[in-house]
Amino acid sequence: MTTGTTGEVVIQTAGLSKSYGRTSALVDVDLEVHRGEVFGYLGPNGAGKTTTLRLLLGLLRPTRGQARVLGLDSWRQAPAIHARVGYVPGDPALYDKLTGRALTRYLGSLRGCYDGDGSLRGCYDGAHVAALAQRLDLDLDRPAGTLSKGNRQKLILVLAMMHRPELLLLDEPTSGLDPLVQVEFLAMMREHVAEGGSVLLSSHVLDEVQRVADRVGIIRAGRLVAIERLETLRARSLHRLRAHLADGVSLSEFAEVPDLHDLRLRDGVLTCSAPQSSLDALVKRLAAHEVLDLACEEAGLEETFLTYYGAPTEAGASYAGQAEDA
Amino acid sequence: MPSVTLKTIRDQRRSLALWAVSILGLLATYGAMWPTVRDNTSYADLIKQMPESMRSLFIAGAAGDLSTPQGFLYVELLSFMAPMLVLVYTIGAGASAVAGEEERRTLDLLLSTPVTRTRVVLEKFAAMVVGTAVLGLAFWASLVIVGVAANMSVGAGMAAATVVHLGMLGLVFGSLALALGAITGRVGVARAVPVALAVLSYLVNALAEMVGWLARVRPVSPFYQYAGHDPIRHGLYWPSLAVAALTCAVLVALAVAGLRRRDVSG
Repeated sequence: MTTGTTGEVVIQTAGLSKSYGRTSALVDVDLEVHRGEVFGYLGPNGAGKTTTLRLLLGLLRPTRGQARVLGLDSWRQAPAIHARVGYVPGDPALYDKLTGRALTRYLGSLRGCYDGDGSLRGCYDGAHVAALAQRLDLDLDRPAGTLSKGNRQKLILVLAMMHRPELLLLDEPTSGLDPLVQVEFLAMMREHVAEGGSVLLSSHVLDEVQRVADRVGIIRAGRLVAIERLETLRARSLHRLRAHLADGVSLSEFAEVPDLHDLRLRDGVLTCSAPQSSLDALVKRLAAHEVLDLACEEAGLEETFLTYYGAPTEAGASYAGQAEDA
Repeated sequence: MPSVTLKTIRDQRRSLALWAVSILGLLATYGAMWPTVRDNTSYADLIKQMPESMRSLFIAGAAGDLSTPQGFLYVELLSFMAPMLVLVYTIGAGASAVAGEEERRTLDLLLSTPVTRTRVVLEKFAAMVVGTAVLGLAFWASLVIVGVAANMSVGAGMAAATVVHLGMLGLVFGSLALALGAITGRVGVARAVPVALAVLSYLVNALAEMVGWLARVRPVSPFYQYAGHDPIRHGLYWPSLAVAALTCAVLVALAVAGLRRRDVSG
């Protein structure tokens, strides 16, 4: 995984906002993504992730603020951006009668050859398309309308990557993919970044993001509430600890351990959630007692995310529901 | 041919072929009717006995002399049937050009390539022109073929002039549908408004014979530009064609401006 936070800026937004009448879909988003970086864009459905991506592509016009992609203005210079960007829409439609191959040819012909330095970027490259399809195990000869959800999604990934884009804007790219293909796609994303590409990966599934992202932006109700390095988020990641103690113990002994959550004691069994940074202090307190059993496991970013950024009730509940069907 | 135009035409190839066959079939039917109508004066009498208002409404004011091929074709085909068929095609094509792709959500796919919105509109318009030309060609060939076979010929040149005027009529309303679709993104609006205006413009042209004040607004009616100078007898009438072409140009420019300044729904 590369850490490209000091590199060239490929996405920059300043006060980016989008409203529909009185409804604000996006409010004052300031975002920077650098070359060679995978930026995870996390939030529940309806938080504004898709709106952000569509603004970056110039499909929507900002109500306020500005977005620049690869140094170009998203609204005024959209076609020039599109030549260098691959987009995976969140809820895509295809020309159902065309086969995968015909679709890649058609959209490839619209891409033409735009690059000035004589490289193949932007040109239709049949061998490259075939290689991408083979990696994702996709049959290009079937009409798009007859494909299963997973195979449609593969075709959309091929369409987004066939012109060797510098930047990938991915809106829930692995939805519908089976786990093996997800792994393959994540590997493709890593290769893309290793070759100097960048990725904006929008998702409501933390697990997907934590496997590839360098930094994570967290969006809720149209506002970017936090941008964290993944390590920072990991350091905060909660550990579920369960200790069975033989002798008498009281909760007050743990009052000085910082950032403990859900501390409980029942029949000599102590349970709590603690961030990595508190584990040392916690274990030292436990060591004063006779320990019969001890279990500690990482809760994953999901719970961490909810603890730090989630609105405790409604957002948490809807979040859990979405994570299940993912 | 540019890609978007080519794809749009390819998508229509079956339907265009069906249109062409139907047009030939329609003309063949008229060809079969023609000897009976020509030799039977009672049809002509019937038209003469119609109240003037009905006559101008259904035959759009032309002197319906059913004993000549021109008069017969005018009354049977050109006054109502042919414009209706062409308008069904052009308004449908214009409405689906941008708004149709948008409602099927494939416009995203198009507009996330380096193709500009201006180019999408222009290529869609070009596809509509090609499709209309195919229909026009089918009309022209049918007029010529059936004309020879049924002894109903109006001459290849006059047939061509008629078809050019017919095509321009279609393109005016098709461009309106394209513009409304590009501005609103809604197929329903893009279909309904041109249909309503076509009916209105038909009525204006038809009733202008009788209603004095309508005569002054009549030249605005695309139906007047189409048939007012009787192209099947007199050939092309350039001023009318120029007005129609200008109307199309303005509407396409509005379509471009409309699509360029708005959000595309996903």
